[in-house]
Amino acid sequence: MVIQILLLSGLVLFSILAILLKDLLKAALSLAVASLFLGIIFFRLGAPYAGVFEISVVAGLITVLFALTVALTRKDSEVQEARLTKLVFPLFFVIFLIIDGLVMKGLLQQVPALPAGPETGTFGEVLWKARTFDLVAQLGVILAGVLAVLALFRKKEEDKDE
Amino acid sequence: MVFSFIFLPLVIAACLPLIGKISKKVIPDVLTNATLGFLLINSILLIKPIFSRGSLLQNINWFGENVNLQIALDGFNLFMLFTISLVSLCITLFSIDYLKHYGHQANFYALLLVMVAGMNGLVLVPDLFSVYLFLEVAAVASYALVAFGLGPEELEASFKYLMLSVVASAFVLLSITVIFGLTGSLSFQAVARGLQDLNAGPVLGVCLAFFIMGFGLKAALVPFHAWLPDAHPSAPAPISAMLSGLLIKVSGVYALFRIVYSVVGMTPALSRVLMAMGAISIVVAALLALGHNDIKRMLAYSSISQVGYIILGLAIGTPLGIAGGLFHLFNHAVAKGLLFLNSGSIQHITGTRNLNELGGLGKKVPITAGTNLVGALSIAGVPPLAGFWSKLIIIIALVQANHFGYALVAILASILTLWYYLLIQRKAFFGPLNDRWQQIKEAPFWMNAANIILALLCLLVGIFFSPIFKTWIAPAADALARGVQQVLMWGI
Repeated sequence: MVIQILLLSGLVLFSILAILLKDLLKAALSLAVASLFLGIIFFRLGAPYAGVFEISVVAGLITVLFALTVALTRKDSEVQEARLTKLVFPLFFVIFLIIDGLVMKGLLQQVPALPAGPETGTFGEVLWKARTFDLVAQLGVILAGVLAVLALFRKKEEDKDE
Repeated sequence: MVFSFIFLPLVIAACLPLIGKISKKVIPDVLTNATLGFLLINSILLIKPIFSRGSLLQNINWFGENVNLQIALDGFNLFMLFTISLVSLCITLFSIDYLKHYGHQANFYALLLVMVAGMNGLVLVPDLFSVYLFLEVAAVASYALVAFGLGPEELEASFKYLMLSVVASAFVLLSITVIFGLTGSLSFQAVARGLQDLNAGPVLGVCLAFFIMGFGLKAALVPFHAWLPDAHPSAPAPISAMLSGLLIKVSGVYALFRIVYSVVGMTPALSRVLMAMGAISIVVAALLALGHNDIKRMLAYSSISQVGYIILGLAIGTPLGIAGGLFHLFNHAVAKGLLFLNSGSIQHITGTRNLNELGGLGKKVPITAGTNLVGALSIAGVPPLAGFWSKLIIIIALVQANHFGYALVAILASILTLWYYLLIQRKAFFGPLNDRWQQIKEAPFWMNAANIILALLCLLVGIFFSPIFKTWIAPAADALARGVQQVLMWGI
């Protein structure tokens, strides 16, 4: 139960961060972390395939695409976060934790247990033994993203030298 | 050996940026061409065992650990692997001299190899979700390669391509999700078996509609074609050749027809929809090609039109129609690869692709002009070149299946195709030589070599069409024509 609440807190925390942060790269990374929490929650609720796909596609693949796009579009690396964001976020988080602490325990006890899904096994087994090729493909996507950034930033650096 | 089609290009691609620090040009050139040469030989060596056994299901262990790295190979995907390796090798040979324009060969080759690995992976994996992932591997590399020149036009085209491609991927993923929900599985075999037992007509119809939209966008079928005439001309010539020659066929045509024939099963209604889309693409794109003066833009519209022929052939559903479609897929990959590389030669020689500024180049650059003529006539369907036979087979298959209207469309559009290709010939290579081009010289050695190899292929495949068709194309088509049974037989 404690782990579940921590995971849900993490999910909400990083989801809010993804919305509030002005630096797009940080926002994309926050979304990835939120997705990681969601994937673990899926897994714990007896849907390991959904968990694996959530982590691999949203936390892995889509984050690379976001990071790539952000790297290609932004001109300045420094982004000033709004003061309001800095103030609102901790307040938001504290309110969330209070509501969570008061409500969640009772709420979770009312949720009926889910029937076991068709797929079984630990996270590692599903990812490594059942979906191994997906890992290879994701490595391919990440490699393509890294190479794309290397290739598309080359001239800008040369222009700067000139 | 079969796994090398995916892993070897990925490993070399990962090493190339580091190698590029040591040797900027020679080692990246040699390594990339050697890799693709090895894959080509590998695909040739697999022909005999695959055609004698019918199919191959292979699993590898990871240091003794049993992991799910499974590939399935039959006549259809071996045919695709061979086409990918062959055309990619010619493109990288051309790039040896062409990339002097751009520099940064190591990065370029690395991205190109990732794209090849993505296409090979897509062709080999027997799993819907892995197909989606490898689709993305090839796509992400191609976005960067389209923008490789870094000009505003390239970046805009790349962005447009990225946006529409993401929409396509979303449709594909949505459909995969629904199929997973229906069958509880993602592997081709299990899904094919699951769908046979299910009576899920309407839901499956929606899934197929999403697949057609997704893969239709990837293949640039009309009305999903808007991105292609911008993306393909903007890319460097070798990448235009990769995109038009290979990527739209692998990530659009191959993926769609592998799923339609081998997983879901072709139905008369689906056949009618796909044939109609193919015919519309043939006519609309051929008419759109006529109004342009940029060679590469004309070639891009021509690609949409020729993909229409491939779809029309494959969608008939008869073994002859499928064979015709596959044969045209190969011929178009070779000829369009040649024509895009050739347009790169023209741009390298003159600095322009505008047909109104060219003229009389044939006297000054006979190799470029001659190879362009061979590619153009092959695509237009002039005998005895390869494109003539594939179009003829498609038309015969249409007549045999009593689709006389479509046969007429295919013949008339072929005349239209010949018209706009002759227009390119007349404006660029014939007529009086413009004074601006008095001092021009032929393209460098490797650019000409790649053009000549591809032109010879158009010619030789046309001349030796009968043995090639019987020993190579027909077994590949049979693998597809067996439909769902082919997938259910894998590994048996």
